[in-house]
Amino acid sequence: MGSCILHMIRLIRLGNPNDFSKQSGNIGKATAYSFTKAMSPAKKESAYLHLPTYTAGIFYHLGTFLSIFLFFIFLFDIEFNKVFNTILIGFLLISGISGLGILIKRMIKKELLDLSNPDDFISNILVTIFQFATALLLYNHNYISIYAIAATILLLYLPMGKLKHTVYFFAARYHLGFFYGWRRIWPPINFRN
Amino acid sequence: MEQLTNDKIKLGLEVLSSHEDSKLLTHLNSCVHCGLCAESCVYYKVDQNSHYVPAKKVDIVASIYRRYNTFLGRNVPWLTHARDLDESTVEELIDLLYGSCTMCGRCTMHCSIGVDINFVVQKGREMLARMGYVPKTLQATVDAAMNTGNNMGIPTNEFTDTLSWLEDELKFDVNDDEAIIPLNQENVDVLYTLNPREPKFFPLSISAMAKVFYAANESWCLSTKMYDVTNYAFFSGNKNEANVIAQRLDDEMMNLKARRCVLAECGHGSRAFKWEGPNYIHKKLPYEVLTSVELLAEYIRSGKIKVDPDRLTEVVTLHDPCNLVREGGVFEEQRYVIRKIARNFVEMTPHGIDNYCCGGGGGQLAMSEYNGRRMKIAGIKAEQIRNTGATIVVTPCHNCVDQLIQTNVEYKLNVKIMTLAELVADALILEA
Repeated sequence: MGSCILHMIRLIRLGNPNDFSKQSGNIGKATAYSFTKAMSPAKKESAYLHLPTYTAGIFYHLGTFLSIFLFFIFLFDIEFNKVFNTILIGFLLISGISGLGILIKRMIKKELLDLSNPDDFISNILVTIFQFATALLLYNHNYISIYAIAATILLLYLPMGKLKHTVYFFAARYHLGFFYGWRRIWPPINFRN
Repeated sequence: MEQLTNDKIKLGLEVLSSHEDSKLLTHLNSCVHCGLCAESCVYYKVDQNSHYVPAKKVDIVASIYRRYNTFLGRNVPWLTHARDLDESTVEELIDLLYGSCTMCGRCTMHCSIGVDINFVVQKGREMLARMGYVPKTLQATVDAAMNTGNNMGIPTNEFTDTLSWLEDELKFDVNDDEAIIPLNQENVDVLYTLNPREPKFFPLSISAMAKVFYAANESWCLSTKMYDVTNYAFFSGNKNEANVIAQRLDDEMMNLKARRCVLAECGHGSRAFKWEGPNYIHKKLPYEVLTSVELLAEYIRSGKIKVDPDRLTEVVTLHDPCNLVREGGVFEEQRYVIRKIARNFVEMTPHGIDNYCCGGGGGQLAMSEYNGRRMKIAGIKAEQIRNTGATIVVTPCHNCVDQLIQTNVEYKLNVKIMTLAELVADALILEA
């Protein structure tokens, strides 16, 4: 976690591009657009052409954030009632299965396999196991040792491989908003005179 | 390929290890290899070859970064496919970044993460340029600009001769012996630039703009010293040469004390001066820079020129140059102008910031070794044009014009390719 924060601090210290050209648009609006509509299937071709993968990706990432959130909850020994616990377990099973689906797609689709390296597989497996381990711990606290091993390996690996996109994703969307906003490309203007 | 020395490797790696801001670091660390960008690339669309997936282009640059700048890359390179910057990597870099990318930026807009793939490709080209691996054909175009002041190597006397007979044509066309194409005048409102393809191959587009300036009663001039709007060093990735070329235009603006710099219909040229130029020369420009597309729209909006909305009856479509639209933010102005002139205007699908590249971008027109690929990807544009049923294709970019003319022949489209200025000039109503 600390290493991820260091990545973030480094990015913040390096700061925004110092652009000498004359700004034409609104960076704030473009950045907001970058994180919202620009990512929706209505606007993003990579989403609307691959809706099953996009949907699996959304579930998978929501499951990851939920698991990280629950990691902190477990640290404070907070417990949920049975119904809420069941809902969380159900969601994590769906997100974990989504992760497995993405992993299988990577293994069988030639374009993806050509693009992949061992880190891609390791990262997916670690996160998927972490999600299942979180579900397992919610189901029964006796599985704490399995959970602890899964969480430790994941957290140790997190800042080194592709998983550090946890930090860089937000920076990338911001930079896209900055670039397109500066030049008045985002948010798209559709008006007739 | 010239031998790769340690000095060259050092020069190349410096591009990836020096950070002016957080942008490069961000985009080198963001790609998750999801491969969903594939269909956004015209090269992949026509070939369905994994070699052309845009993420591959990011990955080859990022893999070199990882090898020399990350813990895993330095110690367990196989884990992240971190690559040495060796001769085989350089060969692949050249083919992927110069030979398989028009720098159209469509993949960036549709990347699931938000990786600025176009920016990473530019950085990769910058590495290759520093190491001396710019394709000779592309470098020849840059050299012509560096050595002669324009990328076609047109001698000044040939240029002035061309302008002289164009001026005679203008006098005849507007029926006014006082009509001129002013040269090198100080304190004008507009210094107009040209794509050197205009004096060399398409002089009528200069006539068209001169006629528009005449109708608008504009205070304008051309410079015989520096009129070239293009900057092929933007494509080659050589920042020093890009700086020299951009500086020349800035110097001429300052020398002539012009108030507005109007960039001719050239997608990359307008981007290279309006958006990248100030960063090349590290200077905020003290004058207005705008494209001729914006100026034409301004003239019509303000009533400085009048156009006949009934003269043109044919079906017209518009090709959006990537660097003008997706990378330059000029989207509505050309549509405003066309709607004032053409009753039958049909958009391509997709269009605007989603439009497909014609195939001539990224310096492809200059790199004859990739002509086969270039004309193959042109098939996508040909299909788009055919689907509109248009007989006139307007595009505000001379490189796109060149590519579309070849596409027209190759794919037997039987359409007429025009610039926006030509369309406006044909529709002008000249006051008596």
